[in-house]
Amino acid sequence: MDKQLARLPDAESRNYRTLAISTAFILLIPVWARFIPGDVLHIDIVNVMVLAGIYACVVVGLNLLVGYAGQISLGHAAFFGIGAYTTAILCTRIHGFPTWLGVLAGTALSGAIGWLVGKPVLRLKGHYLAMATLGLGEIAFILFQQLKWLTGGTVGILNIPPLSMFGLKFDTDLKLYFVVWIIVMALMLLSINLIRSRVGRGLRALHSSEVAADAMGVNTSTYKVQVFVLSAAFAGLGGALFAHFQKYVNPESFVLAISIMFITMVVVGGMGNIWGGLIGVLLLTFLPPVIQALPQWLPGLPSGLQNFSNYELVLYGLLLILFMMFLPKGVADGLGRAADFTEVRARRLGDRRKAKRLEGR
Amino acid sequence: MMVADTLLQIREVTKRFGGLAALKDVSFDVTVGEIKAMIGPNGAGKTTMFDVLTGILHPTAGDVMLKGESIVGLRPDQITAMGMIRTFQTIQLFEGMTALENVMVGCHCRTACGFASSGLRQPAARREEKDIREKSMDVLKDVGLATRAGEIGTNLPYGQQRMLELARALASEPDIILLDEPAAGLNQYETGELAGLLVRFRERGLTILIVEHDMGLVMQISDEIVVLDYGEIIARGAPQDVQNDPRVIEAYLGIEA
Amino acid sequence: MRMGDRNQVRLLWGAAALVAVVVVFTLIYKGSTGLQWILSGLTVGSIYALVAMGFSVIYSSTRVINFAQGEFTMLGGMMMFTLCTRGGLPLWLGFLLTVGIVTLLGAGFERAAIHPLKDQSVITVIIVTIGLAIFIRALAKWIWGTDPVKVASFTGDKPLRFFGASIVPQSLWVFGLTLIAVVLVFAFFNRTLLGKGMRAAADNPDAASLVGVSASTSSLVAWSIAAAVGAAAGAVIAPINFAAYDAGAMLGLKGFSAAVLGGLGSAPGAVVGGLMLGVLEMITAGFAPSGYKDAVAFLILILVLLIRPQGLLGKPADVKV
Repeated sequence: MDKQLARLPDAESRNYRTLAISTAFILLIPVWARFIPGDVLHIDIVNVMVLAGIYACVVVGLNLLVGYAGQISLGHAAFFGIGAYTTAILCTRIHGFPTWLGVLAGTALSGAIGWLVGKPVLRLKGHYLAMATLGLGEIAFILFQQLKWLTGGTVGILNIPPLSMFGLKFDTDLKLYFVVWIIVMALMLLSINLIRSRVGRGLRALHSSEVAADAMGVNTSTYKVQVFVLSAAFAGLGGALFAHFQKYVNPESFVLAISIMFITMVVVGGMGNIWGGLIGVLLLTFLPPVIQALPQWLPGLPSGLQNFSNYELVLYGLLLILFMMFLPKGVADGLGRAADFTEVRARRLGDRRKAKRLEGR
Repeated sequence: MMVADTLLQIREVTKRFGGLAALKDVSFDVTVGEIKAMIGPNGAGKTTMFDVLTGILHPTAGDVMLKGESIVGLRPDQITAMGMIRTFQTIQLFEGMTALENVMVGCHCRTACGFASSGLRQPAARREEKDIREKSMDVLKDVGLATRAGEIGTNLPYGQQRMLELARALASEPDIILLDEPAAGLNQYETGELAGLLVRFRERGLTILIVEHDMGLVMQISDEIVVLDYGEIIARGAPQDVQNDPRVIEAYLGIEA
Repeated sequence: MRMGDRNQVRLLWGAAALVAVVVVFTLIYKGSTGLQWILSGLTVGSIYALVAMGFSVIYSSTRVINFAQGEFTMLGGMMMFTLCTRGGLPLWLGFLLTVGIVTLLGAGFERAAIHPLKDQSVITVIIVTIGLAIFIRALAKWIWGTDPVKVASFTGDKPLRFFGASIVPQSLWVFGLTLIAVVLVFAFFNRTLLGKGMRAAADNPDAASLVGVSASTSSLVAWSIAAAVGAAAGAVIAPINFAAYDAGAMLGLKGFSAAVLGGLGSAPGAVVGGLMLGVLEMITAGFAPSGYKDAVAFLILILVLLIRPQGLLGKPADVKV
């Protein structure tokens, strides 16, 4: 029995090891990206990766909510927007307002509004929850547009100062890259800790059966609100970073399509799989620039296909449908199943790794 | 009013769905350390009674007292924390969790670490996690599932899933456990094992309220039996008495009476 | 079509009373201008009602919410433009073709993407229908471009006077179509064997084999009806509101709000919900900055969902795990 007890922490440390390796890998990307001249790929890797990191902040939190706790939200662009507008307003209206404090304020306000909204709305389930969160997202969007004295209406807020901390100014994509991805990795660490803890088990139990979780002593209604607040705060943090990255904000960045993009990233990557969420973010953030670069990669393309904006969304919609039909559990699960296959073979040779892996899941 | 060793008091509980009364003025007590069985034909209101006792449903009228305190209106998790837990008629193991993790969820109400300390993996959280793991392993050992700890709960054979549900409930350190047809789907050998286990737990001071269709098991282990039919108590008493009660035979066996 | 539980009906009456108060207040306060708002509200509300009916039909038969419902309506308008305005087909033929083609699309999608999903989670199905919505919208943008298109009215543009307000003849076509659609859908589910079977099957899947309607047939028929109703709505509203490739999303959301307001699953409820939403929206647009008009639907949606009785949140079936 003690052998079994000893085996479990192993699976845990594997998760941390993966995190350490991927952190190292991601932080090295700008180094090798330097060796690929821009006119070969026609993609500014560092720039796209900053955006991916910003989206990852949202998606890591959303995955806790959707993938682990099983509560859908189609309105997370609202929290993304609240974070962005909060820091944008503070940093442009108040001269010399510390930008890092703006980011913190955006995170906190987003979480607070998440709490206000989540408490009543999370009593709903399934489709109803989906629609209610969607409605909330739309109301937020309308407010971003209409509260002109605060948000600048459709024009939005311009000239947002770059992020600065400890006397350092993160005014280029490259500098911001490191800040953003270190934050992402910290959020990942937090999530991994959470999932493997008492709270994480409570969330997964709630996902599986609310009634059974309740009966086993899990306070499901509180957990739902708490995880919603956490995901709202993560989204707010992402949004605040976004404001300082893009240097301007307007309502267009917080439309329903963005909420849907976030949830798609979670689903395409794999619900209930922290790494899957990250894969989803990378795939979908790189999709538009890749489609955009296609004509340059394939100069022989018929002229009707040269204009990427025509079929970007056609492809996007099609991919969504196909993914859900053929990989409903996401890319990560597909990869996992491929790994399973090799591990089953390994097991036949007397290896017991599969059992270990199952424990670690 | 409360006798010193009365653990659970059910006082004139009525539950209506629309116009239909699933329970009508049901009253009985469960004493510390006894195994009480609640039997009755399908649709007699047994599971409804469990739902009312555990806070999933609220009674239309009447009161339920656990250790002398009314628990009507409390949330299920609060009732669990007070020391009363249940199992389900259809197995409700958590999907994707190992047997051990399932049991660890059962420890929920005896532990405290929340989002902040868990997310930051503070020493208190680590210590607690270690305790939870050890205790859960002990409980698994207790029901004979220690070797299955690392397997996904829902992948276990049916009989072991039932045992796992029992283990998960026991991990909450209950004073009283409500078992909803724990022997359903078990073969004779497994039912025997279950009977032995329940008697052993009772000796350790656990109080048990059991709903079961397997009369052999009920007669073998229970101290007292309450018979429900159409939401009303039609008989109660020691197993032998109930067994010979003509009303019970009529309600239960219908045609054979 | 589902037994509208008592609380739902009570809620609907409450809402209707509230709307009535608002309408009376508007008429007294604004006179014929107010009447004008209300007439426009009824017109646009009819379209919401038809979209809502599409949601209801699919939901009550299959427990799926089709996020692409609004796109069927958008397609209806665009096809009318291509067939009649551009193609010169007579109106009636263009209308029939439009409805026919979109119905085939709806049925085809159900077979291709929804049918294979049978046992997937709610989230998966939601994402698939969202994918369809994005796909259709993008195709429409590719085919028809981004500029709104104008479809000629069925019977001229000469407004009719009505107590100091005016109404275009096309509005009458909209009212007429809504009436016909609700009667047909209601009759289908209450008078035909197939419709009754579908209702029984949705209420109790085990009974499906007894009534001889499989879940598969049910789903296919429901999607076809929803696509047809949606396309018809789009075709008839196109002359009033310009049709554009991106009109579907908002129409879908508002149609859903109307459906929830009227009690998801009831065809007459969808109509009442749609009309109330349309009128409230236009009155709001009259009194407040028009940008807030769209918020009405979402506020109503959230309020209704939150006030919604236990009956729909936690049915006994959910509790008995």
